[in-house]
Amino acid sequence: MPTVELSHISKSFGSVKAVNDVSFEVERGEIFGLLGPNGAGKTTCIRILLDIFKPDQGKISILGGAMTEAKKDKIGYMPEERGMYQDIPLDRCLVYLGTLKGLSPADVQQRMAGYLQRFDLLTSRRKKVKELSKGMQQKAQLIATLIHEPELLIIDEPFSGLDPINTQMVKEILREQRDRGVTILMSTHQMHQVEELCDRIVLIDHGRTLLYGRLDDIRQQFSGHAVIVGTPGELPTLPGVERVEEHNSSSWRLSLDASMDTQQVLRNLVERGIQVNQFEIAAPTLDEIFINVVQKADQELE
Amino acid sequence: MNKFWQVAWHEYSRHVFRRRFLLALLSVPIMLMVMIVLILVILWTNSNPLPVGYIDHSGILANPIPQPVAKWPERTVQMVPYGDETTAKADLQAGKLQAYYVIPQDYLKTGQAQVTNENKLNELTAQQFNTFLKINLFSNQPADIASRLIDGSEIVVQSTGEGQLSVEDRIINLILPVIAGILFIVAMSTSSGYLLQAVVEEKENRTMEIMVTSVSPGQLMSGKIVGDIGVSMTQLVVWGAFLVLALLFGKNYFPFLSGFRFSGEMIGVILAVMIPAFVMISGLMAAVGATVTEASEGQQILGLFTIPIWIPYILIATFINNPNNPIAIVLSFFPLTAPMTITMRIGLASIPTWQIIVSVSILILSAVGSLWLAGRAFRLGMLRYGRRLRLKEIFSQQRV
Repeated sequence: MPTVELSHISKSFGSVKAVNDVSFEVERGEIFGLLGPNGAGKTTCIRILLDIFKPDQGKISILGGAMTEAKKDKIGYMPEERGMYQDIPLDRCLVYLGTLKGLSPADVQQRMAGYLQRFDLLTSRRKKVKELSKGMQQKAQLIATLIHEPELLIIDEPFSGLDPINTQMVKEILREQRDRGVTILMSTHQMHQVEELCDRIVLIDHGRTLLYGRLDDIRQQFSGHAVIVGTPGELPTLPGVERVEEHNSSSWRLSLDASMDTQQVLRNLVERGIQVNQFEIAAPTLDEIFINVVQKADQELE
Repeated sequence: MNKFWQVAWHEYSRHVFRRRFLLALLSVPIMLMVMIVLILVILWTNSNPLPVGYIDHSGILANPIPQPVAKWPERTVQMVPYGDETTAKADLQAGKLQAYYVIPQDYLKTGQAQVTNENKLNELTAQQFNTFLKINLFSNQPADIASRLIDGSEIVVQSTGEGQLSVEDRIINLILPVIAGILFIVAMSTSSGYLLQAVVEEKENRTMEIMVTSVSPGQLMSGKIVGDIGVSMTQLVVWGAFLVLALLFGKNYFPFLSGFRFSGEMIGVILAVMIPAFVMISGLMAAVGATVTEASEGQQILGLFTIPIWIPYILIATFINNPNNPIAIVLSFFPLTAPMTITMRIGLASIPTWQIIVSVSILILSAVGSLWLAGRAFRLGMLRYGRRLRLKEIFSQQRV
């Protein structure tokens, strides 16, 4: 049974249809990417999922049924707009937020020490939240999201405001959580992070689903019949190659005839004594797929 | 601990354990203590401990009973008998006496005595001599009658219309209602201000979104309301206790306060109107907090609620003239003016029971209504950033 199931969800605010018949499922123990341009309806979907907003239509199942107050203790949520009490010390803020998730103050204290150590915030625990830097607040927010060991993590832009070291650490934490069996629903604009972390994605725009499925399948679906060849020199004319374009300074993109086998292209290159430093099937990046799909959808709407 | 109580405790403790709150809390008792100390110092310095002489030609003070020992800080003045005026005058001039009295032979007929002093006669000394004289005048009367005669009379006026009962000095009876009213307004402003600030701040710093994924909006809102009411109750209890102590203490030194009474009925009625009024205002403030985008905007709206609450104070003269006049009755039934109107009227007259029941019922209904309104506004407006929630939207059919 999926951990999260949205089925034909619609939600309007006045005359604006924020979400229009969106459906997707998030399986237990996977990292799922919720993607879309700004204003696509991602946050509304998350808020509907968390029972902050009621949908106008559709059904939601979370952790095996409708949202209840008890289930809130099993969910960790980190919104895009970070929210921490600014005027109280960090440790007091974490204890309060942790106890609201059903932990005893002693449990929070115990778990908090480990997280503060790992996030290098131990010496700042008595500082008021407003005295912490943006990055530190971001890490503190992540502690508040994880401290009660949730079964479902919903995180919006987890890497914003983090330096490369902390970004790496957050990625490690997300993988650890997944390995523990935690289901993670991640919304981000950083496509390379999605490619690195997510198993499956849904792409929405103007409240509608544009893409949904396994990341590999989607990339496969959008890949043309082409290969990337890295070589220091010029390429000769090859059989079965319709077009040669410069991919970057040291590689070329070869668009192939529909009947041409990619392995034959490699054999042809070797037989001609061409030095091959790189040979790979050309698949579009998620960035490219994102831009193409969203632009096409926008043109259709216009 | 239930999440509702956790929210309430957090809201309460984040205000109450702050230095600025403790300073504000202690400011009233400190101010009262300073006033009391000043009064005591004034009383002590005003009382002159030098003896007073008397030459008694009437025989009333032949075997004198001393006047009661004066209450501290007033000092007891020793009354010294003299056989003739010349000796007394010599002692007065030598600074051994502050004054001397001459009681003529026909004092019982005329009631007139003569006092001689160097400067202005000390009022407290004069009071002590009067008491000394009265005690000896009534020494042959039974103790209770003597005491009654010395204390004087209190006239109670009973009106024939509408069971009105008022005592002679109405101003004294307004003390408790006026103080209760001012404390109510101060406490209400405090808790409403905190509530408004808490809701708007949580919207501004986006904590709200985290909170509603941990507790239900109902628990969050009611926890905040209870926590902030607790803050003002702490103020009320501390301030109220010190004020009552000050009044009870003051009764001993200020005769005009001696008519001051605590009535269980009066306190009961005051609480019956103020508790639902408090909840109503708090609910409205939570609704305003969820509706507006900035704290300053909310403060302006808070001001709009405060003006009607003060209206009964503006009409205090009308209420003193006739506590049951039509304006007073109408204001008793309007939720924002009812708390102060009823509170002041109860101090001046006995209000018909039906009016109290109607007023309290209206206030309870208004409190329930404001909580409903707050609940809807909270759910609709809690995540509305940068754009104000309109009243029309609160009453719309939108699902929350």
